[in-house]
Amino acid sequence: MSVAVTGVSHKTCPVELRERLAFPADKLPEALGRLHRLFPEGGCVILSTCNRVEIYLRSGQTAEAMHEAIRQFLADYHQVPQEEFTPHLYEFANREAVAHLFKVSCSLDSMVVGEGEILGQVHDAYFTAHAESATDKVLSALFQRAFKVAKEVRTKSNIGAGKVSVASVAVDLAVSIFTELAGKTAMIIGSGETGETALRHLVARGIGKIIIVNRTLEKAQELAAEFHGEALPLSQLQEHLHRADILISSTSAPTAILKAADFQNALKRRDRAPVFAIDIAVPRDIEPDVNSVDNVYLYDIDALQQVADQNLEARRAEIARCLKIVDAQVDRFVEWRQSLYAEPTIVSMAQELHLIRERELKKTLDSLPDLTQKQRDEVEYLTKRIVNNILQRPMSQIKQEVIREDPHRVLHLVKRLFGLEESAG
Amino acid sequence: MTIIITYTIFFLGIVMLVAAAGAALGYLWGPNNDRLLRLAARATFAGAVCLFITSWLRLLAWHVVPVMSGADSLNLFVMLVAITAFAVCAKPRRQALLSFYLPPLALIALLCAMLAVQEFRQPPAEKEFSRLFLVIHVSMAFLAYALFFVASMTSAAYAFQARRLKNRQTTGLFQKLPSLENLDHTLFRLIKIGYPLFAITLVLGLLYAWKTPDPLSSTWWLSPKILLSLVMVLLYGGSYHARALGLLRGPKLAYLVFGGFTVLLVTYLVMVVLQVTNYNFYGTA
Repeated sequence: MSVAVTGVSHKTCPVELRERLAFPADKLPEALGRLHRLFPEGGCVILSTCNRVEIYLRSGQTAEAMHEAIRQFLADYHQVPQEEFTPHLYEFANREAVAHLFKVSCSLDSMVVGEGEILGQVHDAYFTAHAESATDKVLSALFQRAFKVAKEVRTKSNIGAGKVSVASVAVDLAVSIFTELAGKTAMIIGSGETGETALRHLVARGIGKIIIVNRTLEKAQELAAEFHGEALPLSQLQEHLHRADILISSTSAPTAILKAADFQNALKRRDRAPVFAIDIAVPRDIEPDVNSVDNVYLYDIDALQQVADQNLEARRAEIARCLKIVDAQVDRFVEWRQSLYAEPTIVSMAQELHLIRERELKKTLDSLPDLTQKQRDEVEYLTKRIVNNILQRPMSQIKQEVIREDPHRVLHLVKRLFGLEESAG
Repeated sequence: MTIIITYTIFFLGIVMLVAAAGAALGYLWGPNNDRLLRLAARATFAGAVCLFITSWLRLLAWHVVPVMSGADSLNLFVMLVAITAFAVCAKPRRQALLSFYLPPLALIALLCAMLAVQEFRQPPAEKEFSRLFLVIHVSMAFLAYALFFVASMTSAAYAFQARRLKNRQTTGLFQKLPSLENLDHTLFRLIKIGYPLFAITLVLGLLYAWKTPDPLSSTWWLSPKILLSLVMVLLYGGSYHARALGLLRGPKLAYLVFGGFTVLLVTYLVMVVLQVTNYNFYGTA
């Protein structure tokens, strides 16, 4: 009863090969069906994202046999010779496979450590397999536990704190100044691509009003129409600067178009409410000394990148703490899985004792014909309670012993004690 | 028996507040665990309730008005700050501010506990506080002090956030504290209530001193507390009006509010250093 994982990721395999081994979402059910037919007694899950392709397998075969079968399956399915991708593969079994899935789900193995997207992808991979009836009890428990571990890691560490892309850092900073963006106005100067991306992020976070300023009014109107905003020519910038809570500038002007004095004037007109200015133009549109003006927070492209790097570094610093949580959870899962070895024996033991109970109960009830139905039910209930109480302690002890000791020896002893040699597997 | 019950409840309150401060600091330095903050908020409320009961027990059993001794006045102050902090942090978004409010409050609570060990056993000094007017006057002043205390800690949080934002250091504590706008609104609301309350308190006190020269001395207005209170009301009044008119906002306002609190601290220390024990002292410590 092994769990194995075989896969390639951004760490081990170039993108050219990864894309040849990937499973498109629409082909996944069919691939799962083919793989499951190879291991009908077990289960399988295929995780295929832009950064990794992994196949999780559970069956009664040895780990080596399962790894070999997955390699063969990948080669057959994608028509890629094994020699081409085998050097890039990683293969884990049992404890290491469990640990790997937990690390992947917690985004500790991601290209951008701590990103939240991978958990959704693992979630989707599992539910696709589940919908195709390709999972079994152990694999289901493994993935459910992986989701819980990921949640615990996010709660107990700062692995997901702070954004790591320039556009999302800009929006995060805006929220750390204004709380709610609903009542705020974003002014976009120019029509750079990064500026537009940041604007899309702001729209997604519910920015209240958008003003597009451009040298060419038609271009501004075009973009304003798309975002339901207001268009202004660059010549009116000074006049309307005070309306901007968030200012994103990305023009191709050769010199700065906004100076400290412009912001000082604007602040007076807006009762000194803070302004978040993002300058993503190169050369810069806003003079750097604007950052020294009270209540104006200026971030240029380097500053945003610096924040993104800091956040990424802070996330990396959290990895050790996360790994401790993962390790503890891997131990718990492995123990639980080991305790499953005892299940058939425990079931047989319970059945055996209940058989004795029923036999003796029948004898007793037959000798007491005057009992009413209610009294007979009471007696039966009593015997059930006694047997269940007797079973409780040995059941939990057996589960613990198979974790601590050699499970075969423990179970053999139990079978001999209760005379289960014939019935229990 | 009553003294044992009073001590038990009082120290339970102090322990609650110290534990709340510990939980709040744990949140600040540890991982993002909101449970610690909720725990801190609950412990703050429980601590405030204990100190409130202590005040009532002192009043009912010994007829001690909460401002008759150093320990009693600090007990009242700590209780009012705890209630204000709890009210401000009722919204989850602002709960991280407890990390700024509770540690200094816990220190004051410990000072209060040290004083209480001695003072709760002694009979209170005879004072003019039997007059209801003075009790109201002093209680209002203490409420205003509590609001100013919380306002100054909020302003410290604002200054911290603004500085980190300017210096592009936006990891760690920065990510846990409320937004600048939220801090600004909280700060303004606290001054908006605290300043008029303190101004009314001062006017009432001045009226009382003017109308009843005996037993106050003719030079009552030379008391450092009166003079520093005037400075304080000017600072907070200035802050309030400047912010309301849009003349001052952001870090400068935060520094001014923090300055106001410094005056309150200086006032207290001056009173202790000069050992002023007349009616203008907060207690007999």
